[in-house]
Amino acid sequence: MTEPIDLRAEMRLAADSLGKPAHDPPSRAVTSDLSVDEGLLLHSIGWEAVDVVFGASVVSIPPMVWTWGSGEIAPASDAHNQAVRGAAKTLGEQCSHVRGHGVVGVRVEVDVQRHHVDVELTGTAVRPVRGKDPNRAFVSDLSARDFTLLHNAGWAPIGLAFGASFVYAPRRSMGTTMRQSSQNVELTNFTEAMYAAREAGMEHMQRSALDMGAQGIVAVRVSEGPMWFANHAIGFTAWGTAVRLEAESHQYLRPEVILPLDDAVVEFEAQSLR
Amino acid sequence: MTQPQDLPKEAGHRLEELEHGLFTSDLSVNEFLLIKEAGFHPLGFVMGSSIYHTGIQARRWSKSQELTKLTEAMYNARELAMTRMEEEADQLGADGVVGVRLDVNYYEWGRDAAEFIAVGTAVKAEDGTSHRNKLGKPFTSDLSGQDFWTIMQTGYVPQGLVMGTCVFHIAHRGIGQTLGTVGQNVELPNFTQALYEARELAMTRMQDEANTLEATGIVGVRLEEKSHQWGSHTIEFLSLGTAVTKSAGDVTLPKPITVISLDN
Repeated sequence: MTEPIDLRAEMRLAADSLGKPAHDPPSRAVTSDLSVDEGLLLHSIGWEAVDVVFGASVVSIPPMVWTWGSGEIAPASDAHNQAVRGAAKTLGEQCSHVRGHGVVGVRVEVDVQRHHVDVELTGTAVRPVRGKDPNRAFVSDLSARDFTLLHNAGWAPIGLAFGASFVYAPRRSMGTTMRQSSQNVELTNFTEAMYAAREAGMEHMQRSALDMGAQGIVAVRVSEGPMWFANHAIGFTAWGTAVRLEAESHQYLRPEVILPLDDAVVEFEAQSLR
Repeated sequence: MTQPQDLPKEAGHRLEELEHGLFTSDLSVNEFLLIKEAGFHPLGFVMGSSIYHTGIQARRWSKSQELTKLTEAMYNARELAMTRMEEEADQLGADGVVGVRLDVNYYEWGRDAAEFIAVGTAVKAEDGTSHRNKLGKPFTSDLSGQDFWTIMQTGYVPQGLVMGTCVFHIAHRGIGQTLGTVGQNVELPNFTQALYEARELAMTRMQDEANTLEATGIVGVRLEEKSHQWGSHTIEFLSLGTAVTKSAGDVTLPKPITVISLDN
């Protein structure tokens, strides 16, 4: 009969090992979730993949914040922004541990629950072949392909710009609802609430980019919608990769026009009247 | 038509930050680089939104007709969203907005209310020449970065996103009619005619908008059909496209290189 495993000790060991480099980086094999094409592209600009890295952060949301109110739900927005910052920081640290210069192809998974926000970031650490260790690693959700293109155009990613905001949907009084039921009318208080929330989310994103010293944010993605556990609360998140021009000026790429001779796929879809 | 009120102050604040040299854009890296190739620089992610309550209009079971009140609502709400987006672009001093997307969202908390939203990336010419349209406003276009670069190579310039819409109620068939055609191959002329008429109305309205911009053509036209929340016999026909005019004299188009890709 084997000794019972001390789960607690095992977990502590695992948690400790996260913060340390596993081996001396030069002597170990490379792991990467990049495709072969992406690996080749990276080599074409003198970069290589180092390791798959991971960062996560869970931040609690105080109780009762989702119950009815008006305006922005600041505790939730703060928790969200804090979780993203925390996850990006651990990801950057792990990347530095394996002597990467930055992380590309970061998959962003954000899970907002009633009592906590969970942010998980996974990506591949990359570095220039025979490069020096950097001061600070960048984090980017751009693919290795996009990273290569940007690099050739003289731009470099510097970090993940993130912003979130949560608001309560306004309510209409019974009287107003009745009066407007047959009219074409803009619901101005709703419009303003949504506008405010979206702008606040994007402004948080811009601020985080400015703090990094960025000149721009590319591939901005916006997601929005009611929270599944409280449908009168609406969440907006916006994120993208903050970039900066590293070369003296933008390098034009001069694309060539090509005409693929592959047959186009013809799709036909008929609609049905029921 | 109601006039849009000023942009909310939150928008003003965000846009002020953008004027200090940071740009934001929902363009992919490919699109960003192609916009640069075309001689433009992105200024910022702009948007306009309007939450709109659509009224009710009586429909007759057996009569095909346009539901003017609903058409008006769809027009008005989209116009509000577009105008607000243009205002944001104007405030940034943009020459135009590319990659415009128009969406309609429904929320659980608002019955019969829908959010109409327009988003895009404001751009400005790098050489300082103005590319604003005939009305002195920034041009709008739903062309992607790739299409934008390609159309600029041909010497055409976008003038504006034009649209036409028509909400149409299509008559149900009577029992007699249905029984009379059981087992036969026949055209159903009332359905055909109703769909025809609705599409023609939407397209004509789109062309009228292009005429006001003195455009010479409309590219990338899409015709969308949606029932929204009105049941299957009430359909919105929406046609959308980018109105363009020919600008330069002669252009030499690069001869495309033919390729066969070896991947699947």
